[in-house]
Amino acid sequence: MIPSRTFTAVDELGNSIKTSLNCGQRLGLISSIDGHQLITLMLDLQTGTAQLLESALTGSTYPSLTLTLPQCHWFERALSDLFAITPLGHPRLKPAILNEAYTGIAHPLAAENSVQTHADFSYLEVEGDGIYELGVGPVHAGIIEPGHFRLSCLGESVVNLELRLGYLHRGVESRLTEIPWQKARFVAEAAASDTAVANALAHAIAIESIQGIEPPDRAQYLRTIALEIERLAMHIADIGGMSVDLGAASMAATFGRLRGMALRLADLLSGSRFLRGFICPGGITKHNDSLLAELHRTCRQLRQEILPILETFREDPAVYDRLHGTGYLSASLAKEFGTVGVSARASNVPYDARLSFPHATYPKVKLNLALQTDGDALSRLLIRMEEVSTSFDLIDEHLQGLPSGPIIAAVPQELAKDSVGLGIVEAFRGELIHLILTDDRGKIRRYVIKDPSVNNWTALAIAVRQNMVQDFPVCNKSFSLSYSGHDL
Amino acid sequence: MSNFLLYLLQQGRATQTKLFPQLDSFVNGLPSIDSSKACQAMECNACADLCPTKAISVIEEENTEKNATVQIRLGSCIGCSLCIDNCPTGTITRNLATATAVTNIDQLTISNREKVITAPMVITASKEKKSPFRRSLAVRVVSTGCTACDLEINAAGNSIFDLERFGISIVASPRMADALVVTGPVGISMQRALIRTYEAMPEPKIVIAAGSCAISGGVHTDTYARPNGLNAILPVDVFVPGCPPHPWSIIHALMLAMGRVEA
Repeated sequence: MIPSRTFTAVDELGNSIKTSLNCGQRLGLISSIDGHQLITLMLDLQTGTAQLLESALTGSTYPSLTLTLPQCHWFERALSDLFAITPLGHPRLKPAILNEAYTGIAHPLAAENSVQTHADFSYLEVEGDGIYELGVGPVHAGIIEPGHFRLSCLGESVVNLELRLGYLHRGVESRLTEIPWQKARFVAEAAASDTAVANALAHAIAIESIQGIEPPDRAQYLRTIALEIERLAMHIADIGGMSVDLGAASMAATFGRLRGMALRLADLLSGSRFLRGFICPGGITKHNDSLLAELHRTCRQLRQEILPILETFREDPAVYDRLHGTGYLSASLAKEFGTVGVSARASNVPYDARLSFPHATYPKVKLNLALQTDGDALSRLLIRMEEVSTSFDLIDEHLQGLPSGPIIAAVPQELAKDSVGLGIVEAFRGELIHLILTDDRGKIRRYVIKDPSVNNWTALAIAVRQNMVQDFPVCNKSFSLSYSGHDL
Repeated sequence: MSNFLLYLLQQGRATQTKLFPQLDSFVNGLPSIDSSKACQAMECNACADLCPTKAISVIEEENTEKNATVQIRLGSCIGCSLCIDNCPTGTITRNLATATAVTNIDQLTISNREKVITAPMVITASKEKKSPFRRSLAVRVVSTGCTACDLEINAAGNSIFDLERFGISIVASPRMADALVVTGPVGISMQRALIRTYEAMPEPKIVIAAGSCAISGGVHTDTYARPNGLNAILPVDVFVPGCPPHPWSIIHALMLAMGRVEA
């Protein structure tokens, strides 16, 4: 998709975003190209179009948008980290991505060579009798990614949670501008490899829109199948993770084994358990026709086996008891903070990028939107369960109706000059955005990735308040957020 | 719930009994080199051109006619299969073995001039050098990357691969750990936490670099975040290549650390 480009004065930016939001649009992302400007992506869910607002900056400051538009707060913190742009009046400006290791090092994406000096990493201090702080991470007890959680608690309840991320910062966005674009898909996938398909797809769509090419039908079908296999495998992993946190060991073992079957689907389709290297600009790289029948058979077998187990898990009174009302996120807050994906739909926000933006065979496919109203951990579990079932339907349907023909379209070796490409994909966590801007020589000038977790980390911090400390893992798992996708 | 108990009882045994089985023929796997098939580098160089991580070098030698040296650094390889699929002479082939861990990083450089990685021997009788961890290994995992390797380590613990049957357990604290498994390229943001984790472990201790990022930085090598792998930061005892390594390869690395298999 190619977003329309307009110039907006930086003083007008806040009003302009607000007007668009009032018309039912979404704020996609705010970033910069080299520190001399702001770029704001607005998404129109009704028409499936996007608008890129460019605002030139004089100097390196501008009035912060966070005070009136809370969902901007994280983007503005990242602007300060990566570009040395200071949003004046930001209520809590502290690093979101870079940590102490970067003190004295130049802001990585800024054109001017300005050194990272401000380093206020202090946590919000909750005062009062009996308040104590609990620090968790960055190295956690289980096998998960690193991040620090600072919980301020009163007795057994959490009063405030402050997040500290950035431990996995690898310079992905900068790397994507340094290498030949033909090899960029491997780096784009590694932004978060549990979301490899969605990342590869968003990357491919962005490149294809710059090149003005359309992948063949067969490739589009296989892309949908790949995306749904990834959703299936990761939703099963998340539901399994939830059963671990609830202490349901035999259930967890069963989901672990069945996830293995879902990974076999991925193996059969692409030769990789994470579908790495499967999707490329122009279509897909390769696939083995003779394995499709086995893929179909295994998929049906998995469906037959897992659906009754999901039902058993859902009906377990202990599951209901632990999850009902836990980690509540209201619909209004979910909207205000731009929450996406499972977490949004569990709080009655009917947004699924598969229904709004063209990618793979969407939105031409008939798809029932999974929606819950309670906004708690149970709702998020129910959404995942429903989506597992939908994914089975979609894979089945697409395998049956798979059109014949080529799997890749010819892709020009040169990227169009001075152009913008945008890929929006509904990853298993929610809306994933890849935005590519090219320069006057057809080189990638700026590559922006907005992982769904960027929106949803704040939702977790809100939802965990007033919950018991020992329910924190359950809350965290129910949101299932990516650290590497956020930190990049 | 009673139905679920019945279901569990009906499942029988899911665990694979054959250790380190070959991968299915359609799986990408890692590249290997068939020395019997000469590489004609002069007009080709496809593998080195296509490799996304510059893991392959093709070196023309003057005194050998029409037979160049191909060298693949598996520690940088992300297993994309482009070199295998595009090699016109069949010099680069698919390695479907899962026993891929090594103790010396030099063993990860393969070439048509040297021996390629071969399947391991599972040692049953004790050799002269006894590892203190032969019967049990407590493992702490620190993730510094994109989570694929972490998911595969998790998968190595499921009922299909079941790493606990080998006396391996994943522990919650470095204080209880014998081995530190590191995944990901270790950018500067994560170095302090990683070193502190290592220091918190009691002696003797083993460090395992799991995945190509941990070995060399993989696709991330040499960005400003300096994610260039573990080797410059901690002394590494075992390397297991792959992006991510297969759960069996991870188990191989752990058993290599225990001294129960040979590289």
